[in-house]
Amino acid sequence: MNLKRQLLLVSLLTLVLPWAGCEFIRETESALRQSQQQMLSGTARALAESLERYPEEFPAQPKGNETPADQLYGHRLDTEPLIDGYFNDWSLPPDALRQIRGTDGPIRFVVGLHGRYVYLYTAVSDDDVVYASPSTIAIEDGPGYADRVVLISANPPMASESLMFAAEAPGPVIAYLRSSFGFAPEPAVLARWQDVAGGYQVEARIPANLLGTHLGINVINTSSEREPGARSASFAGQVPGPFVTTSPDLMLLAEKLVQPGTRMLITDRNGWRIAAVGSPGTATQPAQGAVSNWLRIAYTALVEPGTEPAFAEPDPSGRERQPYIAAALDGRSSESWFRSIDSGRAIVAVAEPISSNGNTIGSVVLQQGTDAILSLRNAGLARLMNVTIIATVLVAVALLGYATWLSRRIRRLSLAAEQAVEGAAIRTALPSAESGDEIGDLSRSFSSVLGQLADYNDYLRSLASKLSHELRTPLAIVTSSLENLEHEGLEGAPADYTARAKDGAERLRRILNAMSEASRVEELMEHAEPEEFRLESVLSPTVDAYRDVYPDRRFEFNCNAADTGMRGSPELLIQMLDKLVDNAADFSSDGDLIRISVESGDGGLVLSVHNPGPPLPERMRSQLFDSMVSVRAAGSDKHLGLGLYVAKLIAEGHGGRITAENADDGVRFSVVLPVADAKLAQVGRE
Amino acid sequence: MAKRIAIVEDEAAIRDNYAAAFRREGYAVDAYDSRAPALEAFASRLPDLVVIDINLKDDVEGGFELCRELRAQSADLPIIFLTARDSEFDAVSGLRLGADDYLTKDISLPHLMARVAALFRRLDAMQKPQGENGRITRGSLEIDTDRMTVQWRGIPVGLTLTEFWLVHAMARYPGHVKNRQQLMDAAQAVLDDNTITSHVKRIRRKFQAVDADFGCIETVYGMGYRWLAD
Repeated sequence: MNLKRQLLLVSLLTLVLPWAGCEFIRETESALRQSQQQMLSGTARALAESLERYPEEFPAQPKGNETPADQLYGHRLDTEPLIDGYFNDWSLPPDALRQIRGTDGPIRFVVGLHGRYVYLYTAVSDDDVVYASPSTIAIEDGPGYADRVVLISANPPMASESLMFAAEAPGPVIAYLRSSFGFAPEPAVLARWQDVAGGYQVEARIPANLLGTHLGINVINTSSEREPGARSASFAGQVPGPFVTTSPDLMLLAEKLVQPGTRMLITDRNGWRIAAVGSPGTATQPAQGAVSNWLRIAYTALVEPGTEPAFAEPDPSGRERQPYIAAALDGRSSESWFRSIDSGRAIVAVAEPISSNGNTIGSVVLQQGTDAILSLRNAGLARLMNVTIIATVLVAVALLGYATWLSRRIRRLSLAAEQAVEGAAIRTALPSAESGDEIGDLSRSFSSVLGQLADYNDYLRSLASKLSHELRTPLAIVTSSLENLEHEGLEGAPADYTARAKDGAERLRRILNAMSEASRVEELMEHAEPEEFRLESVLSPTVDAYRDVYPDRRFEFNCNAADTGMRGSPELLIQMLDKLVDNAADFSSDGDLIRISVESGDGGLVLSVHNPGPPLPERMRSQLFDSMVSVRAAGSDKHLGLGLYVAKLIAEGHGGRITAENADDGVRFSVVLPVADAKLAQVGRE
Repeated sequence: MAKRIAIVEDEAAIRDNYAAAFRREGYAVDAYDSRAPALEAFASRLPDLVVIDINLKDDVEGGFELCRELRAQSADLPIIFLTARDSEFDAVSGLRLGADDYLTKDISLPHLMARVAALFRRLDAMQKPQGENGRITRGSLEIDTDRMTVQWRGIPVGLTLTEFWLVHAMARYPGHVKNRQQLMDAAQAVLDDNTITSHVKRIRRKFQAVDADFGCIETVYGMGYRWLAD
């Protein structure tokens, strides 16, 4: 992974910013909500205390083993329903219908209040509707042999009365009242019976003054006119529970107390809602203005989730069973909050118990929307997103640019460092040397290393000639002493030893000559006077001569160039060829064919010498032409690794270059000699 | 009376070895280790031949200096440079100062003796009237083998001893290629390729100084050189 990618990856870290921002927004929202909740809670407590002064407004406790389930709730109706046997004109949601089990299926009913009337709607599942006959209806105390709905009304401790709805046929029904005064039709009651698939529906309007404080519903299902039938009741015991409905006084009171944007609910001991006013703002309505999709995703991903706000609505059945309200009815202040996933809006809700003489007689519930917080949060979130995106892009671009600049400098440096050692002379000047940062340091260290390398190379280059020069005098001492010794009339072993010593000295002399050859070639080139000649006519007789010099090798000379005219020093070129051929002969075996060829190629004439033999070791390739480098096995004398160095000097002196490669089961040395303006370059001492 | 040879050489071992060799050949030898005592002695009496090292102790160019002063004193005193310095530049400088030969220290004693003897022979021949028997003529080239001098179209060409022997070897049989080994033997020296090349180059230049169209020495690539009859 290159530097640019690394820094780009690092720039991704800026994405932590939105996360941190969201955390902050969430914290803020949560804190704001809690403070709102606390305020609301304080209000609720004050309300609860003021309501404690009206204990009479709260329905009495159900007595004995009666439970809230035995109670009926009277819904306040906004409009007056038409008595037509259908529910659809009731201003109540279908959920308001309460359900009990009947013999042929569920029985659903609801009780409503409007003006002076109590309304009753009952939908009964009945597989086989048995209508009443005048006889069966008229029977005073007998079992009513017909399917019927009975409204039980009681005023404990007085005996209960019942209002019976049975039909002779679908349509208007005459209600019969059974009371302590007897059994008679009740003309003040208006009722209608409607047959529907799988049962029947009864809708009735009863003047409120006919009814007592306790109400219950019985449904009798019979299968024939002679059987008493099965009873399904809305209450468990003999007497129904107290009828509950909203209290007009409390409603009035609550309406005075409640603040705009707040909903106030008052429940009795059992959670029955006896007052409900106000609305918690627009919290439950769809958000105004379109919330973009990505913002919604952000909400879902980042914002603290909450309960659906639908749960904050008053229970359609009339009885509040939310846990926080239940907790308040247990005597504890409690609170809750709700959130719409779609709009992100939230509602905070608090419930406070109302107590009288140490008993909880009810609760007051306040609900309030958090629109202010919401808009604050939305704006914050949107701005955060924008700022984050801009910041991320800016950081990424800046880092990318920086990385590009940095990697370009490093690349330039590494390229320069690579190229520094490629030429004949080492260049120690590198880019970025002036800058004060680490790359500048690196560049300067490189330069200093290259400088040392250059010094070392110069030392190596001059080592051979210096060494040979210094050794020549002691060698002269040895040689001249030995020659003098020979004249002392030695015989036998001393003469042999002297002869051997002379041989050794002679070999030493040849080695010293070879060592100083390079510097002499440099000298020659300095003073050489280039001449025009044809390379082919120089090489051809030279190759012929090699056949005599190396009788164990075969030679082949090919000239594939049309014009081999060039400018230079033929003697030096021959000397170069001598070195190459000497090298080729050394690395080939008896009988091998050494091929020498001249071709015209890129940049001039290409003179190549190929010999079969072992390939060049890869690691030596670049140093092959350096002074005192030899790939020969150690121990072979006379080779100091100067031959190819001399060849290189001559090639470069002619403006050419020399290369070596492994080819055709052997090694090929190629010298490119420029034709056009080849003139002897000043290679050498400077 | 024995010929007197002066050796100016700072390296005692070499000096003594050469002195011994010369004495063995019957020469009288004076040895000096630096320029000052040598000059002092030469002021009173010049030797018959001087062998000088260039580098004399701390006097890096002392030999050249000495050669210049000796040549000022005598135009025909044979002077031989015998030195470890094998660069072309030094050789040219030495010969330009009027030395008769420039030898490197890897020359063998017999070769050195042969050269000294030849120089003395030439000196002797100079004293005598010119004889006909030591004369070779090849076209425009005239070689006096006794005096070891060469004339091209009647104009003397100043050659050193080595150069003379090389020309002599080539011109004796015009048209015959003399390879390097043969030339080396003729020149009584151990020379490497480059040295022979330089010598031939210098010879050509000397002839060309006399005759710009000189082209009698031909390089036979890969083989050697030959003298072409003009």
